[in-house]
Amino acid sequence: MIPIYICDDDDAVRQQIQTALHWKIVMENYDMEVACAAASAQELLAAVEDGSRGVYFLDVELKDKSWDGFLLGCELRRRDPHGTLVYITSYGDLAWRTFQYHLEAFDYIVKETEQAGPSAARCLEAVYARLLDERRDPAEVFSFRTGDETRHIPLDEILFFETTPKAHHVLLHTAGSRVDFVGSLGELEEKLDGRFIRVHRAYLAALDKIEAVDWKRNKVRVGGRECLLSRAGKAELRRKLGGGP
Amino acid sequence: MVMAELILLTFIDTLVGHAIFLIYLMAVLDGRAVVRQLKKLPVLLLSPLTAACVNVLLRTAAPPAAKYIVSSLVIFTMCVLWTMWVWRLHFWQAFSAVCMSGIFQVATSALGQAMRLPGAYIAIFLPTLAVALLLKQLRFEASFRLLLEDGQNRHRIALLLWGMEFVMEHFMRMSWGVQQEYLLSYCISAVTLALLMAGLIVYLAQRLDTFQKMQVQQNIIAQQQLYERDLEKIRLEVRTFRHDYKNLLAGLSQQAEAGELAQLQAALAQLDAGFDRRLGEKILAASQIGNLQIPQVRSLLLSKLAAMEEKGVERRLEVLYPVADVGMDVWDFTRCLGILTDNAAEAALETDWPWVEVILLAQGGRVSLRVSNPWNGSEDPASFWDEGWSTKGAGRGLGLCSYQRILTVYPNASASASWKGGVFVQELIVEDRP
Repeated sequence: MIPIYICDDDDAVRQQIQTALHWKIVMENYDMEVACAAASAQELLAAVEDGSRGVYFLDVELKDKSWDGFLLGCELRRRDPHGTLVYITSYGDLAWRTFQYHLEAFDYIVKETEQAGPSAARCLEAVYARLLDERRDPAEVFSFRTGDETRHIPLDEILFFETTPKAHHVLLHTAGSRVDFVGSLGELEEKLDGRFIRVHRAYLAALDKIEAVDWKRNKVRVGGRECLLSRAGKAELRRKLGGGP
Repeated sequence: MVMAELILLTFIDTLVGHAIFLIYLMAVLDGRAVVRQLKKLPVLLLSPLTAACVNVLLRTAAPPAAKYIVSSLVIFTMCVLWTMWVWRLHFWQAFSAVCMSGIFQVATSALGQAMRLPGAYIAIFLPTLAVALLLKQLRFEASFRLLLEDGQNRHRIALLLWGMEFVMEHFMRMSWGVQQEYLLSYCISAVTLALLMAGLIVYLAQRLDTFQKMQVQQNIIAQQQLYERDLEKIRLEVRTFRHDYKNLLAGLSQQAEAGELAQLQAALAQLDAGFDRRLGEKILAASQIGNLQIPQVRSLLLSKLAAMEEKGVERRLEVLYPVADVGMDVWDFTRCLGILTDNAAEAALETDWPWVEVILLAQGGRVSLRVSNPWNGSEDPASFWDEGWSTKGAGRGLGLCSYQRILTVYPNASASASWKGGVFVQELIVEDRP
């Protein structure tokens, strides 16, 4: 059962959304329930259990000095990293991209007269479809922290890790990104035991992404990029691949 | 056999000069670049080697003056090429750096000659290291880099330094004809000249710095005025809106009394849409800009956004919370922001629908900057960070290079990038100062 949480300090809007979601769940026979419809952030946070993988409908403009929608989203992300966030706003001019990037917010609905309910129901449909998708294909992810935020990258997208000229910084390479974060190759090697191989002091490469090994020029091709190969790396490679000259 | 011996002797002789030159070069530029690319170091040996060969080959064929000029030219060219390669500099930048280090090196040699010490070769390294350390302490490197990166005066600086180096070389040659009793005065003037030159460089860099800051401040004032004009427009709109609003409300209450629900709803929707169209967008833009509380950053972003508007690039700026402080030098942050927005605008303009999105988020001392743009996928972005990448000469590659260079001194900053689905994203996260 996927719990749904609503937080809006406008009673009428909250009621509307709650009713619409309830009907949608009953009609479509979703495996969900409205667990809590709160009028304030504190009330909501008291009801949320850690790691519950819930769906949250949150008001952006809460009339509370210490909690606005964004900060509430941050706190919920901390408690429930895999939950789904949907925002309710009265203005069309929301700083939406910020919510998307930093909270991985799923969608937002605009509360106009009589419109919030149907919008919320439509949104729930999309959320449910995505959750079904995710359940079918639960990808293993690599998680790391940058400051307060935790990032997730599917493990099978990672090509290799590389040290940077800056101490304690590591670069993560995928086919479509390079991400700089604080860490050390030694720790990563230990954490990702077996799937990655230390081909060089400065490189930790995904074993199944290695395309070619140039034993003479001391290079390894990983996902179209070149990594350096050290003597120890060669020995390790031979051991794992079971072959080579 | 004699030939080989001669070459070896000359080689060792020039080798000492090169070692001193390298120490100064590392003090004048960022020395860590050499440490990181140690494998490029042996290539520098080609320079004394070629010089020695040229010297020996020409020993009978040409007068000493010609020999001296030719071998100096050879050494100079090789050193410039090597510097360009290691530090990935423009020709003129490498040229200036080599001249500067050359001036120091010649001054040091002059000192060594004046001392006429036994084992002067070794003794000479001590003052060299001392001066190099002093230059590091005085952050000479930063001043010099500032001058090199100033595009307008690059040639003038190069010419000035070259002239000075030229004079110094002649001084060096003259020392062979100086009588023993005047050697000290000769040496003092050579060293003083080198010091004056260093002072002049620092002075010029400081002037350039003040000049740039003043320009930015003038920019800030101009942008501030634009911003105020925007606010004034909003104020006027609010006034007229208030007037319309009253009329509309009067109409609404009449409709409500008459019980015309459908019309009432239509009128309400119209009111809402009208507000959004007339004021919502402006208020959004103004409040986002207003949240940028660092004047330099605001000024730069406003001018970059204005330039994009002129070129027909769609812009979006989001600053959710006030940005009052950032965990690095404000000018360095501004330069990073400038490079990222320039790159984004340039890449966006190559696409059919150019847009650039800038998102700044400040939370508890941590600032995250995200610049995204569409990208036509013509090159593999992974190669942007490879050494010496640049398809357009002085274009993006160099911007990215100095971006990386600025960030190397900030352990609390991390720069990431991604390119998926035709959108290129550059992200810079600066944590609170440690």
